[in-house]
Amino acid sequence: MTEHDDTVFADATVVAGTGEVMIEIEGVDKLFDDFQALRDINLRVGRQEVVVVIGPSGSGKSTLIRCINRLEKHDRGRIVVDGVELSDDIRAIQAIRRETGMVFQSFNLFPHLTVLENITLAPRHVRKMPRREADALAMELLERVQIPEQALKHPGQLSGGQQQRVAIARALAMQPKVMLFDEPTSALDPEMINEVLDVMKELAREGMTMIVVTHEMGFAKEVADRVVFMADGQIVEVGTPEHFFTRPSEERTKRFLSQIL
Amino acid sequence: MTAVAWARSNLFRNRRDAVTTIVAGLIVGWVLYRTARFVVVTGRWEVVRTNLTLFLVGRYPNGDQWRVAVVAIGAGFVAGLVAGQVARRRLGAAIANGTPLPTVPFTDRVRDVVARYWPALTLLLLLLLLARTASPWLLAAATIAATVAGRLLGARTPRRVGWAIFALPAVLPLAVLPFLTDPLGWDRWGGMMLTLLLASVSMIACFPLGVLLALGRRSTLPALRAVSIGVIEFFRGIPLVVLVLMSDVALGFFFPRDLLPGKVVRVIVAFTIFTAAYVAEIVRGGLQSVPRGQTEAAQALGLSPVRITGLIVLPQALRNVIPALVGQFISLFKDTTLVFIIGFLDVLSVADNVTKQPEFRGQGLIAETLVFAALLFWVGSYTLSRESQRIERKLGVGTR
Repeated sequence: MTEHDDTVFADATVVAGTGEVMIEIEGVDKLFDDFQALRDINLRVGRQEVVVVIGPSGSGKSTLIRCINRLEKHDRGRIVVDGVELSDDIRAIQAIRRETGMVFQSFNLFPHLTVLENITLAPRHVRKMPRREADALAMELLERVQIPEQALKHPGQLSGGQQQRVAIARALAMQPKVMLFDEPTSALDPEMINEVLDVMKELAREGMTMIVVTHEMGFAKEVADRVVFMADGQIVEVGTPEHFFTRPSEERTKRFLSQIL
Repeated sequence: MTAVAWARSNLFRNRRDAVTTIVAGLIVGWVLYRTARFVVVTGRWEVVRTNLTLFLVGRYPNGDQWRVAVVAIGAGFVAGLVAGQVARRRLGAAIANGTPLPTVPFTDRVRDVVARYWPALTLLLLLLLLARTASPWLLAAATIAATVAGRLLGARTPRRVGWAIFALPAVLPLAVLPFLTDPLGWDRWGGMMLTLLLASVSMIACFPLGVLLALGRRSTLPALRAVSIGVIEFFRGIPLVVLVLMSDVALGFFFPRDLLPGKVVRVIVAFTIFTAAYVAEIVRGGLQSVPRGQTEAAQALGLSPVRITGLIVLPQALRNVIPALVGQFISLFKDTTLVFIIGFLDVLSVADNVTKQPEFRGQGLIAETLVFAALLFWVGSYTLSRESQRIERKLGVGTR
């Protein structure tokens, strides 16, 4: 570390949002065989905070958020989501997954179900919500992502942007406290990126706690409370968007930004 | 395009095409001519006409054949009921979705049914024409009437009681089988009736078993995986003939004869396990074709492993393997002919035996009887294949 000004939180433990801690990641390591994907990650995310994670490919960004809902198992350290610590206990894992929505780069909608069924599946089978109620909730969410008229189609009949908005609605249907976005716009044609980003901005305005892995620097500047820069499985630098894009302190960050901007 | 222009551009584009067309045309024409001549002129179909009953129901006693008729009419009625209820529900769903289905005129519906089942209907007509008495005509008419009546009644049954209709095909066979086996005992069943019994029971039983074996082979529990792999590899490695023979004789070496179920049950078990081993590998292939992202998305939503398998992975996996599964079922349907080696009088052994009857012996009629047996199997297999393509088309709608 060279110099620390007041907007840099090198240990990433000072949170924005309401100040209350929603996600706590402490000393997390992740190994794939002998490749170290994550190295001593420390990060706290506050309630209603939006954290954008950027970095070159292979830097561990996706692995980090996939560890939060146990799609990957971390090898060392602690992950606590809303007071529940992630362990091998299936009940803890399920409790965290119920509170955590995830949106994937490749949408991962269920192709054999209609849009409506995609959204109502988890509320009905996990939350045991009656069908009528789940359908009403799904329609409300589809209104929110502005595609209610697609409810009875299958995902394959939708454009990429529409599919990703359905995926967001599907995650929201579980009424999660945290939303994880894993490069949600990377697989989209350029003209469809904004329709998805608009939905995400709206979500941020409504006070959703979000961790977003993305290459959309415009989104990071506009919406993020903090930006986390990762490289080689480590957090290199954390700061406000303003700090980040105007006067980054680390050499590695500067190099990355000069490559993409 | 006129016929001449079409032929010129497709069949006689250049000299080589012309030669190929003429040579191939001559060969095809010759084969068709010989076949037609065999069917219409030289074939001596008397042996089939005389033994039609034997081909269809084996040695089922004459005085009890009314039971088969009752079952056929009943089956038609139940099939009609189910079809009617399905149509009603589809219509209801379409109305709820705000996309009412167009009403199809009655003549068009008849045309659709004929187009869908023409192989089976043609065979039925052929059998009726071969029959010497009027009773098969009456039976066919009654069955068709019962099916139509069932269809109408099914479409008028409210959804509330409709579930009972769907339960019928599952429950009725239990009542029907004793009714059918009563006069003869099913170890002495024969003909097409035996083939249908063996094939349908084995198909229904091997499917869930195969799916369980496939899931077991992918399980994370080492013991379950080992057992599944063991069963699959063991039974895939044994020729079906050997299993059929063993079901008849060798089981007696391991278990007291009195404790063993009847011969038919034993051979059905053999077919079931053998086919289940193949079904398991087909289904496993299907499971692997479902992208990992599907499981991850379901996990992220908090669905339990059982629900992920049942609601997300299996439906997609099975849809992907319908062609291979139906292929395996067709194979099973035809393999049931192997039971002739343990003394059952199935279609194939009827075809062989009738040529040895006193009035037909020594006349070389095996060609006629084998062609007829082949026709019966071909119609069954082709109908299965067509239905599978239909299901594929339906499930494929708007999913890719």
